Amino acid sequence: MIEVSQLRKFYSVFKKEPGLIGSFKSIFKRRYEEVRAVDDISFTIEEGELVGFIGPNGAGKTTTLKCLSGLLYPDSGFVSALGFQPWERKPEFQKQFALVMGQKNQLWWDLPPMETFLLNKEIYEVPQEQFKKTLDELVELLEVEDILKIQVRKLSLGQRMKCELIAALLHSPKVLFLDEPTIGLDVVMQKKIRDFIKEYNLRYKATIILTSHYMGDVKELCQRVMIIDKGKLVFDGELEKIVKKYAEHKLISVVLNEKVELKKLKEIGKIKEFVYPHVNFEVKKQQTSTLAAKILEELPVADLNIEEPPIEEIIRDLFTKKNYQ
Amino acid sequence: MKKYLQLAKITLEEYFVYRLNFYLWRFRSLVTFLTLLFFWLAIYGNRGEFLGYQKSQMLTYVIGIAFLRTIVLGSRSADMAMQIRSGELTKLLLQPIKTIRFWFTRDVVDKGLNLFFTIIEILVVLWILKLSFYLPHHLITYLSFTVLSLLAVFLYFFLSFTLSAIAFWTEEIWATRWLFGIIFLEFLAGAFFPLDVLPSWLTKIIYLTPFPYLVFFPLKIWLEQLTTGAIAQAFLICSIWLIFFWWLAILMWRKGSKNYQAYGG
Repeated sequence: MIEVSQLRKFYSVFKKEPGLIGSFKSIFKRRYEEVRAVDDISFTIEEGELVGFIGPNGAGKTTTLKCLSGLLYPDSGFVSALGFQPWERKPEFQKQFALVMGQKNQLWWDLPPMETFLLNKEIYEVPQEQFKKTLDELVELLEVEDILKIQVRKLSLGQRMKCELIAALLHSPKVLFLDEPTIGLDVVMQKKIRDFIKEYNLRYKATIILTSHYMGDVKELCQRVMIIDKGKLVFDGELEKIVKKYAEHKLISVVLNEKVELKKLKEIGKIKEFVYPHVNFEVKKQQTSTLAAKILEELPVADLNIEEPPIEEIIRDLFTKKNYQ
Repeated sequence: MKKYLQLAKITLEEYFVYRLNFYLWRFRSLVTFLTLLFFWLAIYGNRGEFLGYQKSQMLTYVIGIAFLRTIVLGSRSADMAMQIRSGELTKLLLQPIKTIRFWFTRDVVDKGLNLFFTIIEILVVLWILKLSFYLPHHLITYLSFTVLSLLAVFLYFFLSFTLSAIAFWTEEIWATRWLFGIIFLEFLAGAFFPLDVLPSWLTKIIYLTPFPYLVFFPLKIWLEQLTTGAIAQAFLICSIWLIFFWWLAILMWRKGSKNYQAYGG
C-alpha cells in the first residue's frame, strides 16, 4: 500500500542573525545550513492500518507526509503509495488520498465551507448521489449543520478543523494523512475527532497515518507507532513495545493502613509522590519484586499495585535523553 | 470542465465578498484612464493633428488602452507568487486540478467582471465629454482586432505565469514584477502613448519584443493604420512569442513545482 525506502529530503536554510543589522548583513552574505529533515527512512504500511507518527518538533514527521502526498520531491530514495510515485501528482493517485494539516487551511477562506465542498465535488468528480450521501453522513457525525453557511474565517478553530476533515473526505480517500488533526482543540472536540478517525478507519478500511503531539491521540487510535527524531526512524512497532523496550522504571503504588513517617518511607525506596494514604515508589525494573517484597514486609500496606509508568513520561524521557538503542 | 466552471463561480463569489476592494480597484482604473485622457486632450488643445495622429484617433487609442488594459493586462496569476511564498499553493498541488487552468479560469472571471464595468465607464465618459470615437470601416478590421487581442490575452497570461513561477526559486517576486510591470511592460506595450511616435530605430527594436503586441498593435489595427503585410507580421511575431512563453510557462512550472518547499504546517 505504502512503501518508503531510504527516503532522504534535505533543506538548505539560510540563517539570519537577529535584528536589523543582521538583516542588512544578509543582503550581502548569506550563511546557508543543511537541514536533514528526513534522513534515510524506510517502512511499509499495509491496507487498513492506522499508524501513529510521533517525534519531537522538527523531527521530520510532516516532511515525510509531504513526500508521501507528492508535495515534496524526494532527494533520494523510493516512495510509493497506492502503486504511484506521489511526486508525479497523477490525478488517479490524487483522487485516492487526502492530506489534512491541522495548522494549514485548505478551505476557501472568504466563503462558507459549503462552497469548498461543492468545488471539491467537481474537482474530484464525485457523483451527485455519492456526494450527498457522504456529506450528510459527515455533517451528522461531526455535528456541523449550522455552520455550513458561515464564512470560514469566522469559524472557530475546532469548527474549521471539522470542516477541513469533511472537505478532505468527500471523495472517500483510501489513504488519509493527518498532520496534527487535533491541534488546538478542546478535550471534547479532540475526543470527537478521534472517535471519528477510528470510525472512518474501520468503516472504509482506510489506511491512515497520523502525526500528533498528543499522546492521547496515538494511544487511543494507533496500534502501530513510528518514532522519528532528527530525520531518522528510531522505532517502528506496537505501542506497548515502547513501554517494554524503553520504560526503565516501574511504579509501585501503595495505600497505607496507618501513618508512617516520611523518613522511614525514604529509607525503603525512591518516593515519587506521597499524599497520605497514597505513596508511589519509583523503582528500577529489575528490582521491582525485591522492593515490593520489602514494602509488604516493612510497611502497613492496605493495597499495593505495580504499574508501568505513563506512556507520556516514557516518550518524554526518550525525546530528552535520545537514548533509542 | 465542470470543475473549472465551479471554480469560476467561486471566484466570482469572492469578488462579492470584498465589494469595497473591487470598487476601489475600479476607481483606480478610472482615474488612470481619465488622467491619460485629459493629458492628451490638453496636448491637442485646438490642434486637429499631432505627431501624425488625428485628435479622434488619439482619443480612440486612449480609450482602447482602457479596454485592453482590462482584458489583456488584468491578471490574477500574480497571486500565485504569493501562494508559493506562503505555502498556500499546497492546496492546489494535492488536488487533481491543473494549475495553469486554475489560474486561467480565475483570470477569465476577473477580466469578464472588469470588462463589464470598463465598458460602462467608457460609454459614460464618451457621452459626458461628447468625444468622437473612431469606428473601423471594414469588417475584417473587427475580426483582426479580436483575434490579435485574444492572442495578446494568452501571451500576457503565460508571461505573467512565468514571472510568478520565478517565486519557486527566489521567494520574493515584487521587485521583478514592479520593474517588469511598470517600466517595461506598460511602456513598451504602448499603454501610455502610441509607440510609433518614438524614433523609428527604437520602434524597430521594440517591435521584436513581445510587449507591443499586447496593446499597441491591436489598437493600430483598430485604427486601420496597418497594411495587410504589417498585420500579418504582427500576427506572426505575436504567435512566436506566445508559443515561446507557453512553453516557458510549462517548463518553469514543471521545474519549479519540483523545487517547491511547501512551507508551513
